[in-house]
Amino acid sequence: MKEHLEQICVTVNGVPRKFVIGDGVGCVSPSETLLDTIRDRLGLTAAKRSCEHGACGCCTVIMDGDAVASCMVLTADCDGSQVTTLEGLCDPVTGELSPLQKAFADNSAFQCGFCTPGIIMSTRALLDRNPSPTEEELTEALSGNYCRCISHYQVIRTVMGFINEMNRKEA
Amino acid sequence: MKKFDHIKVGSYEEASQVIQEGEGAIEPIAGGTDLLGTLKDRLLPHYPKAVVSLKGIATSRYIEERDGMLVIGAGTTLKEISESPLVKDHSQALAEAARSVASPLIRNTATIGGNVCQDVRCWYYRYPDSIGGRLECKRKGGDTCYAIAGENRYHSIFGGMSTGGSSCQRACPAGTDIPGYMAKIRENDWAGAADIFFQYNPMPMMTSRICPHGCREHCNQNVYGKSVNIPAVERTLGDYILEHKEDYYKAPEKETGKKCAIIGGGPGGLTAAFYLRREGHQVTVYDSHEKPGGVLRYGIPHYRLPKTIVDQFCQALENGMGIRFVMNTTVGKDVTVEQIKADNDVVYFGTGAWSQPVLGLEGENLTEFGLNFLEEVNTYLKKAMGENVLVCGGGNVAMDVALTACRLGAKSVKLVCLEQREEMPASEEEIQMAIEERVELYNGWGLRKVLESEGKVKGLLAMRCLSVRDENGRFAPSYDQDDTIELASDFIILATGQKVDISFLGDHLSSQLRTSRGLIDANAESGRTRAQGYYAGGDAVTGPDLAIRAIAAGRNAAMAMNRDLDAEKVGNPSHTQEEEVLGPESFTTFDVDGVERTKAVRLRELSASERSLTGEDRSSLDQDTAKQEACRCLRCACYAVNPSDITPVLVMEGARIITTEREFSAKELFTSKLTVQHILHRGELVTEIRIPKTLGRTRYDKRRVRDAIDFAIVSLASAFDVQAGQIKSCRLVLGGVAPVPYQLPEVEAYLTGKKISPETAKEAGEIAMRQAFAMSGNEYKIFMCKDVIYNRVMEAGR
Repeated sequence: MKEHLEQICVTVNGVPRKFVIGDGVGCVSPSETLLDTIRDRLGLTAAKRSCEHGACGCCTVIMDGDAVASCMVLTADCDGSQVTTLEGLCDPVTGELSPLQKAFADNSAFQCGFCTPGIIMSTRALLDRNPSPTEEELTEALSGNYCRCISHYQVIRTVMGFINEMNRKEA
Repeated sequence: MKKFDHIKVGSYEEASQVIQEGEGAIEPIAGGTDLLGTLKDRLLPHYPKAVVSLKGIATSRYIEERDGMLVIGAGTTLKEISESPLVKDHSQALAEAARSVASPLIRNTATIGGNVCQDVRCWYYRYPDSIGGRLECKRKGGDTCYAIAGENRYHSIFGGMSTGGSSCQRACPAGTDIPGYMAKIRENDWAGAADIFFQYNPMPMMTSRICPHGCREHCNQNVYGKSVNIPAVERTLGDYILEHKEDYYKAPEKETGKKCAIIGGGPGGLTAAFYLRREGHQVTVYDSHEKPGGVLRYGIPHYRLPKTIVDQFCQALENGMGIRFVMNTTVGKDVTVEQIKADNDVVYFGTGAWSQPVLGLEGENLTEFGLNFLEEVNTYLKKAMGENVLVCGGGNVAMDVALTACRLGAKSVKLVCLEQREEMPASEEEIQMAIEERVELYNGWGLRKVLESEGKVKGLLAMRCLSVRDENGRFAPSYDQDDTIELASDFIILATGQKVDISFLGDHLSSQLRTSRGLIDANAESGRTRAQGYYAGGDAVTGPDLAIRAIAAGRNAAMAMNRDLDAEKVGNPSHTQEEEVLGPESFTTFDVDGVERTKAVRLRELSASERSLTGEDRSSLDQDTAKQEACRCLRCACYAVNPSDITPVLVMEGARIITTEREFSAKELFTSKLTVQHILHRGELVTEIRIPKTLGRTRYDKRRVRDAIDFAIVSLASAFDVQAGQIKSCRLVLGGVAPVPYQLPEVEAYLTGKKISPETAKEAGEIAMRQAFAMSGNEYKIFMCKDVIYNRVMEAGR
């Protein structure tokens, strides 16, 4: 197989990141997943490594507007993509939580919290597209995010409340 | 995940080329949601060196309407399809199916091209390599399907699908479709079983008694208990065939006028004669013996293969089929090969291995040759011999000689062989019998010299055999000359092998056909020799070997001769089908209770004291018992179900699938073979899907355990055109219930023209499940299918 050296650029949380795809030191292996890259290279550990099969949603990030399971995406395929992780929702300067994150915290919409970053990212992707989803639409959007502590009820209540509050503020 | 390289391409053509050049080491990756899981778990025995990403093909994502068809690029994501107003308008079923796949996270990346090519979700197939090693199941080219006798609640309710021959079939030198005839016997269709058997071998009544049946070692019931007693079932089938011999050994309807000569009336020669005669040729068999049968008659003792059976078979060939036998004729002496050839179009040599090899042993001339000994006893049922017999050799012939000597009344029988007990080539059953009949085994001794006194045998001096084979597994015994024993005997029989003698060919032919090993040089597949019109097979070509190999060679040569004689024209029905073609109409099934039985039936066997020289040691099973044993056959095939939600819809809608090379109907691509990969060439990629407008309303119903990230237990893709409560037309295809999407033409025919009512809806479900075959743990799926169909039919009326 020929030596493979190729430079790609992925914008993560607004910051363009350049990677060399290859097998050398410091290179991103062609078989590396986006999850490995953001966690192990960029230190963004909100996205969790869990089922590794795209079945649990713990590794959810937003890629070009869509929530995706970052464990099932090859970094080498992400050239030119815009990726947002949970860290990217916070204020880049102060680190202050975004209103959606605050809503989760204020309403204890989690138990152990392991799946929460993924749930928030799926919610965010939905709201970016559809600011006033119905509860059914929300449930559907979150159907790929599993929570073993059954925090779903609080999550749905919290997000629906958050949506109502946002809409009230806007009105 | 183990490393692989990542190759970007800009077009399908480029991708195809890279994959073709990769020679199997490069795989395409689209959305990746199926492939990455497969790679992470290292499910497959092979692992790609590189993946070719189709994501960079800019023109692969589109949904459009063209000439009334919905046209979708293979790179379109399932999310795009599920949300597209065009799709919803054109095919609600497709939109629903796309939306039912996995979860939004997956649908955002997964493509329709990847979806229709995805791998099964069977939990045995998917068992991760990291936990004790992946399972090499039938689908992966392994031997069996673990779901047959395992956990199968999500598996097929319409049977499995063949993935190439089963392991027993591969182990049989004749390639006999053992699971095929077992399946017929399970249905009590003995004639059907015989038809399958006769494609490979015309004498089950012989092979069931004499073949070592290597197939049993490869029977996958060995995983759970004892292998299926294949010879016992075969024997009952052989009995059935002899009882109906006029149906199976009959003259061809039409004569071709071609003439074939078979030299040697043993198993191989008679097989060739059978298949040639069946095709309408005139066949003459020449043999030096008084009666035909070769080793079947003269080599195998009566107690293993009664000569009445050989007689019946040979008479059926002669009187039933009209094969001519010219006996007591030694070719090369009484008549030359050239003379025979002058009278015939083709000549087959199946002359076997009848000669005694010279060992160069001191006193060898005082010994008896094993095959001659058997021949004499088989002919006259008596033989003058000594009191203390010593048999040399560790194979089945040596066992036959030893047992025959016992039953002739020898005071003692010793058997000496090079091999250790567990290395002996003889079958374990035969060795056990010999021990029961007081044959004393001396393992690990080689022959040094015959001890004599005044020209009379006194015994054998044997030397220690240190090893039989060299490091390459070749026969090369090494001895300790100083470690010897004397074995007293007054009658020594050498059963240490036979030799091929082809001097009958005469100088001219011999110079053309003789190999350096003194055998006949013939093509292993076709039996063709360098001399036109001459064919050969069996021991004369291979050296001493199994009868079943000679039978296979005789059959294959007969097929080659038949082709060379160009005789298909006369219109005898072609019997020599090369391969069973399995379409979706012939799913494989097994007996759910039978496969759970781990014990094999055994033939009734006389006790050591009851056995005699002439009476058969074992007796056949009755048909019912044999059928019970056939029920233990696992019918190894893949019993997983199609995983895709999209393919049942595409089959239902009569979609066309465009690849980089061809165009398929969805039915052809998704239902005719077990996997899409069995149909697509290397590097051939799905590029586009075209869906015509289906009459009526299309829907996709999916039943699953969880509402997200789950595959269908049962799904139904349907279209109903209903007017005033009457079904004008409809289409129904089930998913998740068979190895491929399962079409329901009978249900469609039944429903068309019917008024929708609960009775009609219920009956539709009943018709749909007529062919259903529940495995041990999935009968519930049958009820679920009926329910899905009932609800959909009722719904269609609203």
